[in-house]
Amino acid sequence: MRFIDARNDRWHRVEGEDGPIAHPDPQPERLLTLEQWHAVRDSWPHGLPTGVLLPNTLDVDTLAEDLNGPNARLALVALQFPNWTDGRAYSQARLARVRHGFDGELRAVGEVLVDMLPLLQRTGFDAVQLRRDQSVEAAVRALGFFPGHYQGDVQQPRPAFARDVAAEAAAPCDGGELFAGQGI
Amino acid sequence: MYQYTDFDRHMVRARAAQFRNQLRRHLDGELPDEDFRALRLQNGWYVQRHAPMLRVAVPYGELSSRQLHQLARIAREFDRDFGHFTTRQNLQYNWIPLARAAEVMDLLAEVDMHGIQTSGNCIRNITSDALAGIAPDEVVDPRPYCEILRQWSTLHPEFAFLPRKFKIAVTGAREDRAAIGWHDIGLQLLKSTDGEVGFKVLVGGGMGRTPIIGSVIGEFVPWQQILVYIEAIVRVYNRLGRRDNLYKARIKILVKAEGRKFVDAVNAEFRHIVQHDRDGAAHIIPQSELDRVSAHFQLPPGIDLRQTATAPQPPAELPVAYTRWLQRNVHAHKLPTYRAVTLSLKRAGSAPGDASSDQMDRAAELATRFSQGELRVTHDQNLLLPWVHESELHALWLAAREAGFATPNIGLLTDMIACPGGDFCALANARSIPIAAAITERFEDLDRLYDIGDIDLHLSGCINSCGHHHSGHIGVLGVDKDGAEWYQVTVAGSDGSSLSGPATPGRAIGPSFAAEEVPDVIEALIDTYRRERQPGEPFIDTSRRLGTAPFRAAADAVRRATACAAA
Repeated sequence: MRFIDARNDRWHRVEGEDGPIAHPDPQPERLLTLEQWHAVRDSWPHGLPTGVLLPNTLDVDTLAEDLNGPNARLALVALQFPNWTDGRAYSQARLARVRHGFDGELRAVGEVLVDMLPLLQRTGFDAVQLRRDQSVEAAVRALGFFPGHYQGDVQQPRPAFARDVAAEAAAPCDGGELFAGQGI
Repeated sequence: MYQYTDFDRHMVRARAAQFRNQLRRHLDGELPDEDFRALRLQNGWYVQRHAPMLRVAVPYGELSSRQLHQLARIAREFDRDFGHFTTRQNLQYNWIPLARAAEVMDLLAEVDMHGIQTSGNCIRNITSDALAGIAPDEVVDPRPYCEILRQWSTLHPEFAFLPRKFKIAVTGAREDRAAIGWHDIGLQLLKSTDGEVGFKVLVGGGMGRTPIIGSVIGEFVPWQQILVYIEAIVRVYNRLGRRDNLYKARIKILVKAEGRKFVDAVNAEFRHIVQHDRDGAAHIIPQSELDRVSAHFQLPPGIDLRQTATAPQPPAELPVAYTRWLQRNVHAHKLPTYRAVTLSLKRAGSAPGDASSDQMDRAAELATRFSQGELRVTHDQNLLLPWVHESELHALWLAAREAGFATPNIGLLTDMIACPGGDFCALANARSIPIAAAITERFEDLDRLYDIGDIDLHLSGCINSCGHHHSGHIGVLGVDKDGAEWYQVTVAGSDGSSLSGPATPGRAIGPSFAAEEVPDVIEALIDTYRRERQPGEPFIDTSRRLGTAPFRAAADAVRRATACAAA
């Protein structure tokens, strides 16, 4: 899981004083709103690393053609948590991965709390921008409590009944010092 | 019953460690109330009137003696010596300080218990028929499927923050004793003519402000596909369920609003998962997994299948209290020489569903001695011993009577369902316990109770409907008017059991009543029934045949405080 620090994020939104600029110029590493993307998509150069911010009220299908295959256009999709108990983006993330085959960056933005990390990781997010008051250290720790889970997920597609869980249970895991290996 | 594997145990301990960490951060001021709230809820901790309430999951109602002894210990050492069994087969504590929460979670984990997903907007503890695995009318034992569903739904990463709570009930019998029509998803196990097992799937039932009975979305979903089918339902709900209005957020509102479109969306989602998604078939249940889990639900090793009696027979001259107990509290069993026996938690001087620490210990001892160390928590807030040999019924009766569990009132008026109400619950508009107590006192006479016969009386302290008032033959709902407690009364509701008929919400019999009028109203309804009934006709049938009018007139006749309002 990558933790995004807004101060040195290489991705930039294209905004003027009145909000998002309607028709941004092609530049690499631009994180566009869905409206911006729709406005420029046809003229936007292929191969330019591009990101889109998808509201959680829309289906990921909206971006289907841009996510996968030879014509994939997007390197980053940012999914939103307008408040942290609104869980729609978990479904969006999962479908982006397992249905649309998206292998770029899936980033959680908005009200992202440390205790969401296990869910984010398991539904296919690989980057998060934590809410300003959240601690990266606590977020890393939050990833370390469970050695495995019953149901399959994006990270581990096989449910417990299809795995050797006896071996997993034997692995040390006490929620304390075991966040080594979780990797940031 | 299901025995935890090392992996199951590991999951519960890991969850306890995770919660301990969250609690510590909360108590240290790192995790503010508003962020901690959803986390504690998903571990069973509510904040209530007096202290946090802890709801402990009893998966599909199955409990061992060892677990019940531990629950007794927690009540004794951390609470004020009692617990409350709920309509969702769980146990609630009311007085445990939050600062001691982590200790309690560790004690629960010692006996493979927890409060995971007993609250919050997630898939809640799965409920089932209290006679699962022992009912004579059972087609398929639902417990292995309940357990597979329990595991699948536990800490599901995609469905932890749904628009609203999500409840699944499963039955495998001909009679619906799990009120499946009243659940977000109701599952009925069926066998096709060629012996294949599958589920009839209902979706969009629920109580609350807008009572709706679930509608059939799948006539026969093969058992192997049930996890994927439910995944499809819950995903469509997660995407499209309303989040702008708490009262319109349950799946029932979505199903009702979308109708056919909802069904089509679920079926399209299901096809997508199994036909196109990467690893989409990973949750098709293999026979080996069903076999592994089913092995936990074989007959307990102590079961004696011989036909001959192995214990002394009861005296030839049977006391009437014993024959009444045999009639009301003892139920037929799939094994001809065994019976299921209800330990009544409905008796004068104690709130419906409450048990003291000592009573929990006594019930656990009875289970050890008479029922292979197993108990069930029933939907109507009693305990049930599932494996009692017929030759031991008399000895059990003597012991149950000694322990205060032998009130022969199961299915009768005083065997009522009631939530904890305003005495404990911060959500409640009105109290339910004093109302229940007043009714119990009014109908103490057993001859009268037996004359009234089978009846479901359900009391809720507010519209959240924890006391299932919508499904009561008589339902009582506490409402708040200008800061005072009032009670709306309904008749002819049904939970979907054979006695009650197809599930349906009851109908109101006019404006609400004052608290002190409620016992008179109940009595007036009962008197009306006794006057109007045909031979052998239970209350529910009479109320359905006559409609609300005569009941309303009888109830209005006993109004005092509310006479002006009603006029």
